[in-house]
Amino acid sequence: MIEVIRHDIVIVGGGAAGLRAAIAAVEADPDVRVAMVSKVYPMRSHTVSAEGGAAAVARDDDSLEMHGFDTVKGSDFLGDQDVIQYFVEEAPKELTLLEHWGCPWSRNEDGSVATRAFGGMSTKRTWYAADKVGFHMLHTLFQHSMRFDRIIRYDEQFVTRLIVDGGAVRGVAALDVREGVVRLILGRAVILATGGAGKIFPFTTNGAIKTGDGMALAYREGVALKDMEFVQYHPTGLPGTGILITEATRGEGGHVINSEGERFLVTRDYGVGTKAELGPRDMISRAIVQEIEAGRGLSGPYGDHVHLDLRHLGEEKINARLPMVRELAKIYAGVDPVHQPIPIRPVVHYMMGGVDTDIEGATTIPGLYAAGEVACVSLNGANRLGSNSLTECLVFGARAARHAVGYAKGSDDGNEAACRSLGEEESARIAALRGKKKGGEKLARIRHDLNATMESGCGVYREQASMDDTARTVAQLKGRFADVALEDESAVFNTELTAALELSNMLDVAETLAVSAAHRHESRGAHTRKDHTSRDDQNFLYHTLCNFDPTGPRLSKKAVALGKWEPEERKY
Amino acid sequence: MARAAHPDAMKPKTPGRTRTAPPMAPGEFPFAGRYRAYTLFDWTGIIYLLLGFVALRVVWALGDGESAWLAVQGQLENPLYLAFHLLSLVSVIFVGVRFFRLFPKAQPARIGPLKPPPQLVIHVALYAAWIGVAGGLALVLAGGIF
Amino acid sequence: MSEKKTFRITRFDPDQDEAPRTQTYEIPVDPDWKVLDALNFIKDEIDGSLSHRWSCRMAVCGSCGMMVDGKPTLTCKKPLSEYGSEISVEPLANFPIVRDLVVELDGFMEKFESVKPWIIRAKERAVEEGTHRQSPAELEEFKQFSMCINCMLCYSACPVVANEPEFLGPAAIALGHRYNMDSRDEGAHERNEVFRGEGTVFSCSYANECSEVCPKHVDPAAAVNQAKINAVLDWATGFVVTRGKE
Repeated sequence: MIEVIRHDIVIVGGGAAGLRAAIAAVEADPDVRVAMVSKVYPMRSHTVSAEGGAAAVARDDDSLEMHGFDTVKGSDFLGDQDVIQYFVEEAPKELTLLEHWGCPWSRNEDGSVATRAFGGMSTKRTWYAADKVGFHMLHTLFQHSMRFDRIIRYDEQFVTRLIVDGGAVRGVAALDVREGVVRLILGRAVILATGGAGKIFPFTTNGAIKTGDGMALAYREGVALKDMEFVQYHPTGLPGTGILITEATRGEGGHVINSEGERFLVTRDYGVGTKAELGPRDMISRAIVQEIEAGRGLSGPYGDHVHLDLRHLGEEKINARLPMVRELAKIYAGVDPVHQPIPIRPVVHYMMGGVDTDIEGATTIPGLYAAGEVACVSLNGANRLGSNSLTECLVFGARAARHAVGYAKGSDDGNEAACRSLGEEESARIAALRGKKKGGEKLARIRHDLNATMESGCGVYREQASMDDTARTVAQLKGRFADVALEDESAVFNTELTAALELSNMLDVAETLAVSAAHRHESRGAHTRKDHTSRDDQNFLYHTLCNFDPTGPRLSKKAVALGKWEPEERKY
Repeated sequence: MARAAHPDAMKPKTPGRTRTAPPMAPGEFPFAGRYRAYTLFDWTGIIYLLLGFVALRVVWALGDGESAWLAVQGQLENPLYLAFHLLSLVSVIFVGVRFFRLFPKAQPARIGPLKPPPQLVIHVALYAAWIGVAGGLALVLAGGIF
Repeated sequence: MSEKKTFRITRFDPDQDEAPRTQTYEIPVDPDWKVLDALNFIKDEIDGSLSHRWSCRMAVCGSCGMMVDGKPTLTCKKPLSEYGSEISVEPLANFPIVRDLVVELDGFMEKFESVKPWIIRAKERAVEEGTHRQSPAELEEFKQFSMCINCMLCYSACPVVANEPEFLGPAAIALGHRYNMDSRDEGAHERNEVFRGEGTVFSCSYANECSEVCPKHVDPAAAVNQAKINAVLDWATGFVVTRGKE
């Protein structure tokens, strides 16, 4: 008999969006009890690695209008303008709340919160905490959430399936990683806050846990994944490890130079105009790739790269504003940025696409919500501006939670017997997968092949043939995954089993990405093609929807919510 | 890892639902690496305990009259006592230096409106006070003053 | 990948093993690898049943703490080149062991929550009032102690944690102290009561090992000893100051 735990709201994922949602839910209603279910302890969530900052209008020379337009333009006019409008209004309130909760924002001399310049932003509006903003925000949120005994944490519980019955979501089935037992955690609303899926690529800033779990969970229940083709390459990651070197290095004045010592973003026309190193990420990543292809890159043990030069900033400024960058460069690249340039190359960082939601964070399944990187609300359209996503987690984590609380009041618990039956099915599936002896494939090999095909077909520059090939390869890999053999039969803390579940999620997400990318015959934002080099608003100004179908992913279109800003040429 | 830690070390109040293996103490504890100095530091407590007994003995003799006092003074010239006192001096210096290293960083950044002086100042002041008091006492005992 | 190293790794499956045992793996290693890369290679290529925690691989999530050659280490940060040809990898000391290199963290989470690690104010500030003013100097007073990634290496290094189960431990005390020193907080009295309570900060006997192993330069030893002074002052001033009901 499967154990059933019941709360009002179930939140999957304990990062910035999940924690903010939990806090908003308990604040919205004094009776609401929230289950926060995460496959890792919340302080391990990948929010922790964000470095640069979080954007919100703070200065007198700034306005909501400016922040809104920067975001719309940055999104290459694919972002929904009603979403963006709401976002820029709420952003300052959310970051202020975080300050009240103890976040150690860096300060100006007069005690007000300091802001720095960031890519694609017309003025300084990125609030920062040295160069560890994600770490500080996550720990602030986590520690603040501990005040509420109505937030009940379920740590190291891996959600393997959404329980959908009677036309609505009723909760989740979760594998207790320590015990090896599957339980039902039921609630009238479920909020997915599980982050992105960078690990489908070989070079990524993302940590091990970013495997697209929430996206796959929703996709399998018939929810569309939207705009999956838009993958952000962060221009400055370390070669080899892919470790993030924050955009703040450029915000503080760092230069990107090629093998000839040339600041090519200034001297050559890559569309970033006078913004130079502070252009939007998609343009800078493309510029770096083109420089390397033109033979002006540097080669190293981990492939070709260019340089990020911080030497002219001076030791004092680097230690004050970029201390973690200095440490990362020393430990993981063997260079001291005070004296040497840092080797960098574009690496996968963020997924603009995700679970299709409306502005409330609601999906097409009643009771199911999504917020943060897992969702595509769509704030970021075809390209995200740096420092918008941390604020996004707060704004839409809170909004989804408030809406979920309202929804939960009006809904019912559904048919528990039906839920139990689904749960038992899931429990049997997991038990059969654990230590599965029959099979000829190795988990690591499938993962490696997935990474390789995503890199070749869905990189910075794409072509029809290679995207189609990747889509086919991923479909094949799914077949190979069905034939995987596993070694670990233990019930207790079986990380091979969780790795297998993660790989299966990654395969589903990768397939939607490749199929969506192959069909978009234009270049927009981060989706850049060699065979369709310009943006085509006539034919492609819409969001791509990708739905699960047994015969293969099925695509459809969703209109972009335009507003006061008409699409124009995106030049900086 | 050599030895077991306390069986309840880091044990949660709500027990987990799988059997755990007992916690082990760090491998270098107590006699290897930096732990050696720490263990010796803790063990100097025994020396202070014994010093306490010696002090009691001497003070007791004071109460018993001049001849008893002179007898104890004579006993203290025994080479064993001298060795013990030398050991005590070494251990006090050891503990003092170790404690003085910690003392500056143990000052809170602020108590009310008051801030501590710079760490170097604290360091120098501690040693100055120590040498001053110890030197003064030595002078008194040697009959140099009073 | 020409060099080989031998890893002696603790294995423990509570369903199969009476007690933890050691398993040896000899693998080719890359000169740039950290210890974690070797563990992942073993799991991917040699023995899929090896369980260990990791995530960010950039020394900020705190998942991958283990005892390497007997010392508490963040395995994603330590290069293999700093070790000899034989390396021992064991789970964090002073914690109950759940499986292989995975330890039970709930005891830490309880101590962590007990120090009330959140801003306590008599009256909550409204969003409309904007942010608190906090000068860069005020930020410096607690900033260092806010850098803790909860990796728990300090708990493994601390001889008091090994012997006194009630002791709050370095990271929890450092975090409580971080809030006590934050100019926006008004809850020092409540936390100082916790500091003087069962988990008493006064159990700290100046080993300083916590600060020696901390990968983020938090200096928990400084925090714990500062907390001692604050806890005493808080107790003493309680005789002369009227405190409202908490």
